[in-house]
Amino acid sequence: MGISDAMTTLVGEFPYALYGSVLVGVLCAVLGVYVVARRVVFFGAVLTQVSLLGLALTFVPPLDVLGHTGGALSLTAIVALLLSGLFSDRKVPRDAVLGVVFVSAIALRMLVLQKAQQVEVAEVENLMRGDILFITPGLFLFTLLLSVAAMAFMLLLARPFAFMGLDPETAEAQGFRARRWEQAFYLLIALVVAAATHLVGDLFVFGFLVIPPVAGLLLAKRVRGIVLVACLMGLLCPIIGLVIAFILDVPATPAIVSTAAVFLLVAWILNRSRH
Amino acid sequence: MKPLVTFERVTLGYGRRVIQRDLTFSIEQGDYFGLVGPNGAGKTTIVRAILGVLKPLGGEITFQTATGRAPVIGYVPQRDSVNLILPYTVGEVVMMGRYRKLGLLRRPGPADRVAVNASLEHVGMTGARDTPLKELSGGQRQRVLIARALVTNPDLLILDEPTNGMDLSSKSAILDLIARLHEEDKITIVMVSHLLDDVANAVRRIAIVDRDVLMVGSTGDVLTPENLTKIYRRDVRVGTLEGSTVILSGRRRGDL
Repeated sequence: MGISDAMTTLVGEFPYALYGSVLVGVLCAVLGVYVVARRVVFFGAVLTQVSLLGLALTFVPPLDVLGHTGGALSLTAIVALLLSGLFSDRKVPRDAVLGVVFVSAIALRMLVLQKAQQVEVAEVENLMRGDILFITPGLFLFTLLLSVAAMAFMLLLARPFAFMGLDPETAEAQGFRARRWEQAFYLLIALVVAAATHLVGDLFVFGFLVIPPVAGLLLAKRVRGIVLVACLMGLLCPIIGLVIAFILDVPATPAIVSTAAVFLLVAWILNRSRH
Repeated sequence: MKPLVTFERVTLGYGRRVIQRDLTFSIEQGDYFGLVGPNGAGKTTIVRAILGVLKPLGGEITFQTATGRAPVIGYVPQRDSVNLILPYTVGEVVMMGRYRKLGLLRRPGPADRVAVNASLEHVGMTGARDTPLKELSGGQRQRVLIARALVTNPDLLILDEPTNGMDLSSKSAILDLIARLHEEDKITIVMVSHLLDDVANAVRRIAIVDRDVLMVGSTGDVLTPENLTKIYRRDVRVGTLEGSTVILSGRRRGDL
């Protein structure tokens, strides 16, 4: 299969795979800039696993009334708020707290799915991985609305987020309530990660929270430039990755994330050659 | 001089943990005030209380300016506390000082840009406006952080360890800048530092704090060998060299 055949098949038969992966790619890449800048990258990885646990719990009555998306969003938001509180506890290091939640979420998910015997294993695996090729219009629309809300929120709060990220001590001294802004930031990330993980899977979401921002840091000299590079990668890598997946007949998500990794390698080489 | 900040039997701490008890002292309008003490003595806790970030567990902190309004407080944090991963330019960093005034919806206008430029000019950093903060030297970064505090037109400027980790030349330049802000712009200054020599030769009045100790007065009255030996638990000597105060620490007190 050639590139044009792959594109034709993709646009004709799997349009929501294209739209969904680009949407999540751009959104995670932009938010990822602030996640990487705040040194809470592992927080993104933890939330993807918590989101999957939330989704798994909805296979068990009576939590099934929440629906898969509702379960993932609710649990991820609750855990994100709890984590933002635990981060201020200086007795336990932040990465240790995240590690505990990470392994606990995976272990609990395994137990929950083991006991939820009424569902097909293949169905569960598809939901867990976020099968890109079978994104439904409804789920895409929901994620699109959430993304628009998240970006509007991000733009509205861009100044306090930037100030808190650069210098929380002085921001607090100027009257910005550090705790409240931290919670708002983590809640925003949690909602986006939960919805995006349900749509495209944990590997995709975590990959795009990290890889495009790091490439941006390597290539751009200004904050706007970093956001722009990350945004472009979020836009291009899913399209290129999907085309490669069709041509080589390989799974879509690993192809997309690998494409982003290759972009990052190129960015690193360009950065090295500049210095 | 009238008091700008007054601590009246103030107890400070976090939750049930008391850090300082019954603090009573004042910072006068137009003061150049030094706050010194060993690491962990509670200097930062007192600063957080002045900034209003930490509410007292007991007692009262009052503020009074010449015009009767609440004072505007500019804060310059320790340089190392600033996260430099994102390459914000000097202009962007100084503009952050205006964010509180701008609120969430209003974009920075010409008046804000004029204020930022004036602040940068004041600290001699006009040419660096478009340079990322992370590309500057320690002394230059300190100037930028001072400019960000000045952009709020403060009545009181609090500087946390402003000369820590600087070479002699940068340190002197920063201390000269702070002295100029005090003398020419009549800004009340509070300088927090563990570097006794720097504070002793710069400030007019000083407070030395330790767990259960607070001594406030002129540098000559407070920075005596007896007081410093008691607080630092070392044999401390105080002398003068060509008009400057020199403080030397000797053996641990238990070794004497």
